Amino acid sequence: MSSTFTRRQILIGGLSGAAVIGLTAACGSDSGGSGGSADPSEVGTLQFFLSGDANQGGGFAAMAAKYEKETGFKVEIVDIANDDLGTRLTNAAQADDLPALARVGSVDPVWKNATKDLAEIMTAAGVMADLSTQDEDGRVFSLPTDVTGVGLFINKSLFDEAGVEFPANLDGDVWSWDDFVSAVKEVQEATGASYGMAMDASSHRLKSFLYEFGSTLWQPDGSGTYTTNDATKTALEYFYEINDDSFMPRSVWLSEADGNALFKSGDVVAYYSGSWQIADFAVNIADFEWASVPTPRQPVQAVNFGNAASIVVFDGTGQEQAALDFVNWLYTKENYTELATTSGFLPAVNGITVEYADNAEAFDLYNAEIAASDPIVTTIKQMELGFEVAGLTTEGDPLRDQVVRYLNDEIGVDECITTIGEQMTEAFGSAS
Amino acid sequence: MTTTPRPAFRGVNPWLTLLLVVIAALFAFPMLWFLLSSFKPGSELFSLPLTLFPENWTTSGYVTAWTRFDFWRYFANTGIVALITTTLTVLVSAMTGYAFAKYKAWWLQVFFVCILVTTMLPTEVIMPSTFAVIRDLGLYNTLAGIIVPSILTATGVFMFRQYFRTVPDELLEAARIDGVGEIRAFFEIMLPIARPIAIVLGIFSFQWRWNDYIWPLIVLNDPNKYTLQIALRSIVGADNIDWSVLLSASVISLIPMVILFIVFQRQIMSADMNSGLKD
Repeated sequence: MSSTFTRRQILIGGLSGAAVIGLTAACGSDSGGSGGSADPSEVGTLQFFLSGDANQGGGFAAMAAKYEKETGFKVEIVDIANDDLGTRLTNAAQADDLPALARVGSVDPVWKNATKDLAEIMTAAGVMADLSTQDEDGRVFSLPTDVTGVGLFINKSLFDEAGVEFPANLDGDVWSWDDFVSAVKEVQEATGASYGMAMDASSHRLKSFLYEFGSTLWQPDGSGTYTTNDATKTALEYFYEINDDSFMPRSVWLSEADGNALFKSGDVVAYYSGSWQIADFAVNIADFEWASVPTPRQPVQAVNFGNAASIVVFDGTGQEQAALDFVNWLYTKENYTELATTSGFLPAVNGITVEYADNAEAFDLYNAEIAASDPIVTTIKQMELGFEVAGLTTEGDPLRDQVVRYLNDEIGVDECITTIGEQMTEAFGSAS
Repeated sequence: MTTTPRPAFRGVNPWLTLLLVVIAALFAFPMLWFLLSSFKPGSELFSLPLTLFPENWTTSGYVTAWTRFDFWRYFANTGIVALITTTLTVLVSAMTGYAFAKYKAWWLQVFFVCILVTTMLPTEVIMPSTFAVIRDLGLYNTLAGIIVPSILTATGVFMFRQYFRTVPDELLEAARIDGVGEIRAFFEIMLPIARPIAIVLGIFSFQWRWNDYIWPLIVLNDPNKYTLQIALRSIVGADNIDWSVLLSASVISLIPMVILFIVFQRQIMSADMNSGLKD
């Protein structure tokens, strides 16, 4: 090894050392500027933390560009992996370095009180109040940016090949779970498809399934004990039955196989997922035709829907007013419609009609299903938002975790139901 | 002695060679799959039957990845962090290891044990406290915040200490008699002797820092300071993953490491053989 090796290393090290000092000096505090929103250069760049914008058509980035053009205020979109967004915000809160605004999955107790009240914008713009996080005093922590709903996709090519009928929309007879399962089995037999249906291993999807069987999920009685009705047991037993490695692949729930990839392989007849898949399928499925179809009911018509993500404005950044102005601007009818069209969002603002360029029938079906859903969906969603405001959380996800144990024959259905109730009582009992 | 017919290449056992080829192919297959998949359009990634070669070759994933990410900036950030940390790690570890091996004082032994004890705790466990320190030092959201905590590694100190213990004390004493000062003795005699260890540690340290994920994720907040791994992660959205972009971006992120490997191939191969260490 020649001595030039070490000399070169030292040289590079020295050069990059100088570079790092330059860089760190250049990037001091970026939250400069003060209260008023008069001068864009004084306020500085507004950082907007979110996840998955680029994957969803870049709607927020486009709106930020439009906002800068109209007003001169620069909003920087910081796209962060969904799993990391929570960590990033809690760490930023601890380091007193919160961004001006963020689009989050849920409100975190760590920074909950460092947010601005969005009540005025909610009322003025007609944002769905049911999906906004607010406390009893009417203080609004977050506003939904979009709605997602659970829904059913089918491999239309397989259905056509087998000559099996399916309901295309909510008019007329929509199938029950029994009808659906037998139709899919017929398709499987005729086409040799390996699996009948995949469902994401998520309690969000499972709740939708439970609602359709008439379950009220777990709700507190007067003493704060969480219990459920008999339909939950019927539904869970049904779910256990169809998780037989022939109708449903067991790997999806038990070992986190990717339902989306399975469906895209063309070897699965149906996929119980949600509206966010439409954009992906439109681009990444070329080998067969797919379709969005009504979800089965047994006998309840319900799809679990909610705020996919919500916008929050942080306090103490020195840019509060500018950030509030941006949110206000974003939720005006014209701008919100543009955002929803670009990103393929189901609208979270009342009275908005979105003209979707692609897959309009699929989006229309979701909007119709959400509008016709049983009130239980909203009741539970309200309850969950209440926990969020109160800063209450469970360890893990009781519904999902216990159902996985049940599917794995570790526990029986009764123990599964009681354990979920107990865990919820422990976590939320005080709130009721 | 009877002579058995020898294969065409003397001294080459064809069965062993075949075995090596098979094992090499087993290792290469996932890599090849990954590389070729990055040239498939999104619709081909999961469609059955799976094929190794793309039916329609496309570079659209690369184009999207390259336009969506400011790769030069991330390469620069990651490179700066990896280079500075590595240089400092090697220097600090060499000096510390040297002191432990060649100076005699009771507290040095205690101190050495203290450093070794740090290996008993997984890095993740001490992260919250490290974070608090970094924050209070004002290093949050700076590249220095990733560099400083990574400089001292017990592994590096231990490697140098063990190595310097094998160097005879007489060498040092002779130098001292000749009037060489302590600092000069270290830089001009001891450090050059320990070059093999320095290179081993340098290569490992560079790999560790290049692939670091969790710590930069915690410390960095500004997208302009992202390292490569953090930037790549943002492709994974809430419910969807843009696989073709993710595959292409991952391939691009490997390129600098591959170039480094080609340049320093000889050192890296012997480094891996000498140490068998893994972080």
